[in-house]
Amino acid sequence: MSTTPARPRPLSLHVNGIAHGPIDVPEDMMLVDVLHEYLGLTGTRFGCGQGECRACTVIVDDERGPREVRSCITGAHYFEGKRIRTVEGHARRDDGGKIVELSPVQQAFLDHFSFQCGYCTPGFVNAATVLLERLHKSPITHDQIEDTISEALNPHLCRCTGYVRYYQAVKSLVLATPGLVRGGEPHDGKERAP
Amino acid sequence: MTRVGWKRILAWLVLIVLVVLLIGWISRWMSNRGPVQKVNATPAQIERGRYLADAADCAGCHTAHDGAPLAGGFPLHSPFGTIHGTNITPDGEHGIGRYTADDFFHALTRGEARDGHQLYPAMPYVSYRTITRADSDAIYAFVMSQPPVNVPNRKNGVHFPANIRTALHGWNLLFAHPEVRSASQGSSADWKRGHYLVETLGHCGECHSPRGALGQIDRDRPLSGSAKLGRFAAPDITPQGLAARGWDSASLQQYLATGASAQAVASDEMLRVVTLSTSRLRREDVRAIAVYLLGDAPLPAKVTATAATAAGPGQKHYLDLCSGCHGRDGEGVPNVAVSLQRNTAVHDSNPHNLIVAILDGLPVHDFPGIARMQDMPGFGDDLDDGQVAALATWLRQRHGGQATAVDAATVAELRK
Repeated sequence: MSTTPARPRPLSLHVNGIAHGPIDVPEDMMLVDVLHEYLGLTGTRFGCGQGECRACTVIVDDERGPREVRSCITGAHYFEGKRIRTVEGHARRDDGGKIVELSPVQQAFLDHFSFQCGYCTPGFVNAATVLLERLHKSPITHDQIEDTISEALNPHLCRCTGYVRYYQAVKSLVLATPGLVRGGEPHDGKERAP
Repeated sequence: MTRVGWKRILAWLVLIVLVVLLIGWISRWMSNRGPVQKVNATPAQIERGRYLADAADCAGCHTAHDGAPLAGGFPLHSPFGTIHGTNITPDGEHGIGRYTADDFFHALTRGEARDGHQLYPAMPYVSYRTITRADSDAIYAFVMSQPPVNVPNRKNGVHFPANIRTALHGWNLLFAHPEVRSASQGSSADWKRGHYLVETLGHCGECHSPRGALGQIDRDRPLSGSAKLGRFAAPDITPQGLAARGWDSASLQQYLATGASAQAVASDEMLRVVTLSTSRLRREDVRAIAVYLLGDAPLPAKVTATAATAAGPGQKHYLDLCSGCHGRDGEGVPNVAVSLQRNTAVHDSNPHNLIVAILDGLPVHDFPGIARMQDMPGFGDDLDDGQVAALATWLRQRHGGQATAVDAATVAELRK
């Protein structure tokens, strides 16, 4: 067992369009701790701490496209040079930093009463945002909607069991946003439980 | 000879071939028409058969995921194509309902079905050749007492020419020798029982022994490991191989009984073996297996201290991507991520399994009982071949006492 303390290394991060650092960060510190303790961004939730619940999910924009990364099990230095989005980065703000408009995903979750305690919500917001951006680039057909949403949200845990309302919010948003679904309405129009 | 003479001979030859084929077809048809057997066995005999069927891991191949017990359908991938376990329930149409105890023993030990067709050696009849008649009869009594399931056998995907079953007569003549050089030295009662459990019933060598070009087991190097069958390699489980990776009798017994020990959690095909077979064995039989694998005079298990390693890209990848679950210095978290400090894949001179785990990740493991291990994401997209090699090299040097560097070409070969 090593007993030597972790060495700090300088780290530059790019979060929600703002460059931070370089700041000295211990080489084994996870991103979620740096967001909380160094950058004051406490919206990203620390849940299970082992990558199972996905409350800590952030978005990374790199050559592999927008994708979800679990910040509680991924070292902060992994994100050197990468662009990160957290839950704080979605809403539109005025020059003073005051929120003037929520993102469509955030608004849909509010409209559908998707969450109760809200602890898992930042992870769900990021998952749904990544999904919508992906569908903008490669739209799906009508019959793929349900499976695609389930696949995107399934890994995220919600202990208040708000799954159905998260699902319904994302589904109505996908249907209401032009350009995400190819072709017309389905023939039978049958609804399937999520 | 005139042209007419040739024609006559040809006609006779064709006739002979047709008659032989007809006789074969009729005998096969007749044998398929035999009566469905009714077996009278005591509950104790059936129970003994059930235990032996577990020890022989029949369900491993003859029960499919979500399939009826012993009704076949589990796919076994081999370099010669995919072979499915067959229906061995006592169903008269698709199962082995018409098999007598003699037919069953013959199929088990000689690899020949009741209708005379040769079984592919995916059925470990070469290992089972040394099964005792009493044990075969007990397994037969158990199997025949199970509910018949009317499920047809699945089509196999064996490529030409390996799909010519008649050619297996030749294969059997060349390779189906029951004489196995013991992988360890011993003479105790436990060792002998372990020999039977490992080499015969458990047929461990079918995966753990190296194989030649025609799929034959290399009997000069029993249990010394093979990378030919699955995505993961079956590691070297000779006394030397096990001791070098830090295994002793206690840890082997714990692993076989529960699927997890300080050295490893059972994964992939071995998890199936633990779930369906070794975890169901009596304690004294698990001990006998450990005694046989390690020998009557076991080598001391190697203890590898954590080595001082230079900071570099390998360590950086570890801290960035692995330490969140495996701990800053590989100590692991129970039921979440294994400790890497004593991990068998890290200590293996062959980096195959370590590389595959890094590239592919691992699914959730549900062990017999309530124990569980979280899934591990794969890092094949995050890390290129050189980065995976650097990470594997660092881990092996840090914890595994393996100084040899892993090269990027080895990683490239193992990428799917």
